[in-house]
Amino acid sequence: MSQAFDKQFDARGMNCPMPLVNARKEIAKIERGQVLKVLATDKGSVADFQGWAKVAKNVQLVAQETETADGTCVYVHYVMRKA
Amino acid sequence: MAEREIWSAADLLARLEHRGKFFILDVRNREEFERVRLEGRTPLPAVNVPYFEMLELGGKDDMLDSVIAYMERELASQLPRDQPILAVCAKGDTSDYVAQGLSRLGYASATLKGGMKVWSEHYSARTVVEDADLAIYQISRPARGCLSYIVAGAGKAIVIDALRHLHPYLDLARNLDWVHSRGLEITAVIDTHGHADHISGGTALAAAAGAPYYLHPFDAIHPTDVLPATIAYNFISDGQAFPIGRHELKALHIPGHTLGLVALRLGDRYLFTGDSIFIRSVARPDLGGKAEAWAPLHARSLRRLLTLPGGITVLPGHFSTLDEADDSGRFAGTLDDLKKRNEGLQVLQREGEAGFIRYLLESLPRFNPDYLDIKRVNAGLLKPAEEDAATLELGKNVCALSQAYTATGGAS
Repeated sequence: MSQAFDKQFDARGMNCPMPLVNARKEIAKIERGQVLKVLATDKGSVADFQGWAKVAKNVQLVAQETETADGTCVYVHYVMRKA
Repeated sequence: MAEREIWSAADLLARLEHRGKFFILDVRNREEFERVRLEGRTPLPAVNVPYFEMLELGGKDDMLDSVIAYMERELASQLPRDQPILAVCAKGDTSDYVAQGLSRLGYASATLKGGMKVWSEHYSARTVVEDADLAIYQISRPARGCLSYIVAGAGKAIVIDALRHLHPYLDLARNLDWVHSRGLEITAVIDTHGHADHISGGTALAAAAGAPYYLHPFDAIHPTDVLPATIAYNFISDGQAFPIGRHELKALHIPGHTLGLVALRLGDRYLFTGDSIFIRSVARPDLGGKAEAWAPLHARSLRRLLTLPGGITVLPGHFSTLDEADDSGRFAGTLDDLKKRNEGLQVLQREGEAGFIRYLLESLPRFNPDYLDIKRVNAGLLKPAEEDAATLELGKNVCALSQAYTATGGAS
């Protein structure tokens, strides 16, 4: 599966709440309509990105997927800046 | 700036047991909060605001600044000033920001160290008896309502219903300083039945201690898959004796909750009931998917237990709420006492087996489909990785009928 994105942010190894806190800062740096790809190893980030996208007016969660890299599971979130 | 504390799982348990006053600010997402909450002797006052809502709606770049802005604007009317506020999250990092924010705003605050993950894996050991020739320790996993036991005599120990993590048993056996024995040799590990609500530590503990593992053969067949267990186990049969020092544990086959359930009786003094009689309730008969066939067996088995001496102390396999514990935190009661306090036993005594069967079938809790997989794990038919094992075990057991009422929102 290949989802288009404009910028990537690597939050692997970060514990909650840092993947989301930092992704929120990164999304402020991209243009409207662009997509940020976030890589995280924190499993809780899956539900948290879904919940965040519901309350944040300027973001849309486009897709989520998992990848396995070197035996560890990576949770990938694609977030679009709406406004 | 107000005081900010860090509470370990043991600190939290002590406060829950002693009815310490505090307010919970749980910042996990709403689904997790609904699924598993902190529970005390009485319902705990709590509010749930997911941290990502505080972050987004607080509107600052920085986590701490956002949390402070959000709480000041949206939560001030809900947060009490006369008691500490415990911030709770999944793993204990996010709650630390929240506690810092609370403290900046002048609230007495605390954070739960390690979050709900560490709490769910916390164990607590209590002494039931420590005589010259007999010691019994009740080892509980408070977040899950699971109870297990070490029975010791003459330097030897039998472990009953060992839970998934082995350190509570191995540490206690290694370090115990009791009468003339320093340390205990584990000589047998017994599961009273094939558990559905939690992953057993039985076979792993037996292997670590070099001791045999015992299970009734009827529970070595998965009830819905109808496949035999692949774990190594020794048969238990009705009447079988397990010597321990000058005493012995005698198995009583009491099918009902499972087909192979056994209670273990230590003379006229102690009865390890597994999942049959709990303190305030009785076990459910439906976890094998055959409630109508198993309920009559359950009724007959409990009748058999009711004929035992009234002074015998019941040591159950679960508790439903912390309030079932006595003042020292132990979950135990004499059979005579339970005949008066236990709802299921009262129905059985008052209405006989037919009435009791009706009562059982009318009050069945929701069936948790994870229970089928947990039984597969315990039979060796499924081997999960650590994270999956922890996920399977989320939340509290629902092996007792008493939770049927809470689960369906009725009276409890």
